[in-house]
Amino acid sequence: MTIAPQPATAPLAFAKKSEPVDPVYRQIRDLVYKVSGIYKAEEKLYLLADGCERRMKQLSARTPRDYWDHLTANPNRDGELRNLLNEITIGETCLFRSQPQLDALRKVILPEIVKEKTKQITKRLRIWSAGCSTGEESYTLAMNLLEESEKLLKGWTVEILATDLNDRSVEAAKAGIYGDYALRCTPELFKRKYFSSVDEKKLQVRPEVKKLVTFTRLNLQDNSKMLFMKGMDIIFCCNVLIYFDGESKSKVINHFFTNLVFGGYFFLGTSESLMKLNNEFHLVHFPGTIAYWKPSLNSGKL
Amino acid sequence: MTTLIAAKIRDRVQRIETMPAIPAVFLPLLKMLSDTTKEVRVDEVVRLVSYDNAIAGQCLRVASSPLYGLAQAPPSIKAAVISLGLRRVETILLTCCLGQAFPTEKWGLDPVVFWRHSLACALVCRKFSEKLAAADSEKAYMAGLLHDIGFMVNCQVFSQEFSTTMEHACLQEIPLYEAERATMGFTHCESGRALAEKWKLAEDITEVIACHHAIERCKKAPALVALVHLSDLLCRMRGLGYGYYERQKVDLISSPAWAILLEKHAQLEGMDLVRFTFELDEAVTEISALVSAVFGAAAAQSAGKR
Repeated sequence: MTIAPQPATAPLAFAKKSEPVDPVYRQIRDLVYKVSGIYKAEEKLYLLADGCERRMKQLSARTPRDYWDHLTANPNRDGELRNLLNEITIGETCLFRSQPQLDALRKVILPEIVKEKTKQITKRLRIWSAGCSTGEESYTLAMNLLEESEKLLKGWTVEILATDLNDRSVEAAKAGIYGDYALRCTPELFKRKYFSSVDEKKLQVRPEVKKLVTFTRLNLQDNSKMLFMKGMDIIFCCNVLIYFDGESKSKVINHFFTNLVFGGYFFLGTSESLMKLNNEFHLVHFPGTIAYWKPSLNSGKL
Repeated sequence: MTTLIAAKIRDRVQRIETMPAIPAVFLPLLKMLSDTTKEVRVDEVVRLVSYDNAIAGQCLRVASSPLYGLAQAPPSIKAAVISLGLRRVETILLTCCLGQAFPTEKWGLDPVVFWRHSLACALVCRKFSEKLAAADSEKAYMAGLLHDIGFMVNCQVFSQEFSTTMEHACLQEIPLYEAERATMGFTHCESGRALAEKWKLAEDITEVIACHHAIERCKKAPALVALVHLSDLLCRMRGLGYGYYERQKVDLISSPAWAILLEKHAQLEGMDLVRFTFELDEAVTEISALVSAVFGAAAAQSAGKR
């Protein structure tokens, strides 16, 4: 069976573009969104098209339309969709990947948490970087929190728990050595302050940054282990959930919800969304980014 | 707000009349758009626009932006009306006129940033309203376009005070209306209302201008005000605000405005707000390009004067 290409969502879009992007790519974008919650906006549609073209070469598919058939009609369509997701999320990892998320963290969320917890005796902040890969996000968070250690977070204990399924990634993360590509978004100031050079091309994260982060291997689908991850103030899980099918994704998200404290925040990758997988989280906007919020007990919004 | 401040605003707003830059077609057009009892005739609009070649030309250029739906510039206003419908051409005209309605010097707020926000808000309102299958999406566009005209008043006739407000807002990273209240004792909502009353804008548009930051105060058009309130916030959260960081967490779905809108439009329940947000991001480049095209010359002129 072949699914006939439906008209892309042009009526939904704000602007009808006149540049010659094959309309099939817009259909593929909609399919990717439906399945994974990842949305490649028009500006980044070329990234999706590049990913598709790389897959098309592998499969010897001639046209985007042929590739659409691979994604929708072929017996291996689910596998192919996963391959495509791998392609389009590749190389997205680097330190300081999303400045709007970091701004939201430092300018809005931390002051809110500090205020909420002001009456508690132990001032402790717990952050979980779930699916941390080779540690870029975890160390970025650590450096940003260190920047606040003499200001907002003075007297606070900060813990960053970073987990990944892949042993090799966890080992690389622990080493904390990065090249130019991973450091392309890192401000010079941070490079000087928190890294030492390994050789001409590589920098290593300094011990005081490492001290904040604990790396361990964890399978997000391991229900019994997930139960032990309680008491998180903020969870980051960027470009990880795409690897799960609908049901397991929903399970993982429910675990995240349970593991967050009331008033805690959950961040996804910049073009990801939860869609309808959890109704308890509140979608919240910060300048340039969105997050999901577990309402605090006194907000009366549960 | 004390009656003393209200009187001061009214008094200063009266002076706007003496300003030279308002295109001649602007006020008659506004009147036409605000008069709901009278059916607007195509010929009347075409005749009106024929008085101002610059506005007509700009209108045709804007009509060919992907944001308004035509692939290439229509040859005439009449042709634009045939392709896009009268209502849309009117709102495009209004957009162009408004860009020239005030002299561009004395801005406490960067005019390009201001117009980008107003235009983005207008487009978001229109798209939002289309998603809700609301009756009049061009009305929503007009409401979004005009909601912040109070800033134009503040920039013009309270220029010194407003410059301080702007500095305060940028420094504290707080919403502009909060900074206005703190430093001037009133906001663009009050000065916008004075201008709307002077211009005799329709009641619902006046209420949008006066109440989009205080939704509990609106009486006549709560759904329209709610729509503008939400669109305004969304724009400000997606880089289409006033050009500085606002330390804010915005929970649109839990806001009273959302509840008001939901009461009138059940479709809102099923709306995918994240996708809507991403779609807005897609339009950012187009919006900026359009602002440069429409207001670019005026803005450059203003930068030269400063």
